[in-house]
Amino acid sequence: MEQATVNETQPSPEGGNGEAIRLEGVTKRFGDFTAVDAIDLSIPRGEFFSLLGPSGCGKTTTLRMLAGFEVPSEGRILLEGEPVEDVPPYRRNVNMVFQSYALFGHLDVADNVAFGLKRRKVPKDEIGRRVDEALELVSLGSRAKSRPSELSGGQRQRVALARALVNRPAVLLLDEPLGALDLKLRRQMQVELKQIQREVGITFVYVTHDQEEALSMSDRIAVMSDGRIAQCGAPEEVYEHPNEEFVAGFIGISNMIEGVVEGPGSVKIGTGKRIQAPVPADCDAGDTVQLSVRPEKIAIDEEIEAGMIEMTGRVVSRIYHGVNTQITVELGQGAHLVALEQATYTASADDRWEEGMEVRVGWHPENCLVLR
Amino acid sequence: MPGVAGDVSSKGFWSRFLLPGGVWLLLLFVVPICLVLALSFGYTDDLGRAVYSFGLENYQDAFDPLYIPVLLRSIGFAVATAAFCLLLGYPIAYYIARYGGRRKHILIALLVIPFFVNYLVRTYAWVALLADEGLVNSALKDLGLTETGIQFVNTPYAVVGGLVYGYLVFMILPIYASLERMDGSLIEAGKDLFGTPSRVFMHVTLPQTKQGILAGCVLVFLPAVGDFVSAQLLGGPDTYMVGNLIQDQFFAASNWPFGSALTVVMMLFLSIWMLGYLRSAAREARDPVAAGGV
Ligand SMILES: Nc1ncnc2c1ncn2[C@@H]1O[C@H](COP(=O)(O)OP(=O)(O)OP(=O)(O)O)[C@@H](O)[C@H]1O
Ligand SMILES: [Mg+2]
Repeated sequence: MEQATVNETQPSPEGGNGEAIRLEGVTKRFGDFTAVDAIDLSIPRGEFFSLLGPSGCGKTTTLRMLAGFEVPSEGRILLEGEPVEDVPPYRRNVNMVFQSYALFGHLDVADNVAFGLKRRKVPKDEIGRRVDEALELVSLGSRAKSRPSELSGGQRQRVALARALVNRPAVLLLDEPLGALDLKLRRQMQVELKQIQREVGITFVYVTHDQEEALSMSDRIAVMSDGRIAQCGAPEEVYEHPNEEFVAGFIGISNMIEGVVEGPGSVKIGTGKRIQAPVPADCDAGDTVQLSVRPEKIAIDEEIEAGMIEMTGRVVSRIYHGVNTQITVELGQGAHLVALEQATYTASADDRWEEGMEVRVGWHPENCLVLR
Repeated sequence: MPGVAGDVSSKGFWSRFLLPGGVWLLLLFVVPICLVLALSFGYTDDLGRAVYSFGLENYQDAFDPLYIPVLLRSIGFAVATAAFCLLLGYPIAYYIARYGGRRKHILIALLVIPFFVNYLVRTYAWVALLADEGLVNSALKDLGLTETGIQFVNTPYAVVGGLVYGYLVFMILPIYASLERMDGSLIEAGKDLFGTPSRVFMHVTLPQTKQGILAGCVLVFLPAVGDFVSAQLLGGPDTYMVGNLIQDQFFAASNWPFGSALTVVMMLFLSIWMLGYLRSAAREARDPVAAGGV
């Protein structure tokens, strides 16, 4: 490891258990407004960790506290086991990829990438070597002498990534790094970013409000809502087993039917129907709960199988998405269900149901979640 | 603005409004300059009247070594003025642009308002303050800090001080504008990449606001070189500047042809600076990179 004013990634005694970041009761208030509310988090080394949530839920603020641009009002931040709340950004071994890229327009691509190494007084020949490596990593070796203004959006994004990665930080912070790119480039960069992360093995903390992006890239996701973490877990866990209504609703479209617990394994919904559902042990009879079923788990008419819970309703809308069609069924008493029907090789899902048609809908009880 | 409006009919439309301004410029700017140019080849007759002619004597006189110290002094004073304006103005512009918040516009207005007062009047105010029997000296004497008073006027310091005071706002405004244009996340990126505040300033903020600094220096330097008010009111024989020399030809010495020749030389000299600046600004405009973050 080279001599540097900032310690580069190296095992520290306390962080020896492989913890890159630890947040303990971290709170950030702006005046009376609490942007981040007592967050606890532990992110192991080498993880691709996403902060996912709607606009204004405090994702950027959390990231900026990790970078050192905001000082927490309360709580502790540990970076590789060391408390860093009072450490200024330029002495933290983390780097950030800004949403606006924030490339230095007066410097060429190579000098942009070399900026951090120069500030750390890394020897000249080593700077040259590492800059070349970093540019190769993001496939921009041939553009070293270009000015940022001569690059496309995707290329600028890569420069920003190389500029941060070249410093080999303990943690790389990314604030909606793909937000400014068009959909196709976004998808492509998602794959590349994930590949690069595996290659370099650096801990990524990735902020996004795009649930698909978070699900496809992350090792773990923290879903944020109003400054707190609603749920934290692997993508499958957050998607299949949301622990509260907000998470179920935010990740994918989810159907919510209100009901009252009747007893173990039984919920009575608004239409008066009793439904078999996996009621958690800590729910008592009389508790109001939400039944949540993913749209793709809902069967319509002839798709219904034995053992499914069945209800009848009327098709109120039909939205064609190409690969599938989103069908909304009214069950009565204001309860709606959304079903996603795949187009098959025999029929486009679009033709099979008309608005106003009476249909039967059904789902397997185990695909239904009971949320409080 | 035919270039913006685009089509031919609107070009015709706008040309009509060009006429009054064009005539104005022609009569009050181009004609006098031509007169000055013509007069600079003339001479003064025995009665002291300016006579048009085709002689080069005035230009020979203008390059007389006698005047070299005056020219050097003018340039020296103007450079010092630009330097002090930069040192004083940059922090002010920086503070307002970065930390002014909602009061930004009020702060800028407070800076500009004093400059609505005529430069001459403001310089007289300085005389009243700094004169040997002026306000500052009487205050110092009353406080017992000095017996005899301190001589401010008739010193180069007072002249440069007057110039700095006179032109400071021309430094602050362009720098403020360039700081305002700069993307604040560049500073954060600099800090994130291990730059201490001073290094971020040197390696990010300063190069990003280069154009504003350059514009400010030109806007201060050019009028300061030709200034005569400050040296006349706050200076003495030792602070005589080119502006005073020219002014004296028109008033005291009544040698209009020589004054004209000096004026022409001065204009050419300043134009070189101006052209240099314009070329650099145009280069930046073609290559917007250096103008901001990407
Ligand atoms: N400097 C600040 N002063 C006052 N309020 C702030 C400040 N920064 C953020 N906030 C508030 O804190 C809340 C969270 O902001 P934050 O930028 O963290 O949201 P976000 O989750 O990143 O949203 P987005 O997806 O829109 O970027 C917002 O309501 C915002 O208005
Ligand atoms: Mg944000």
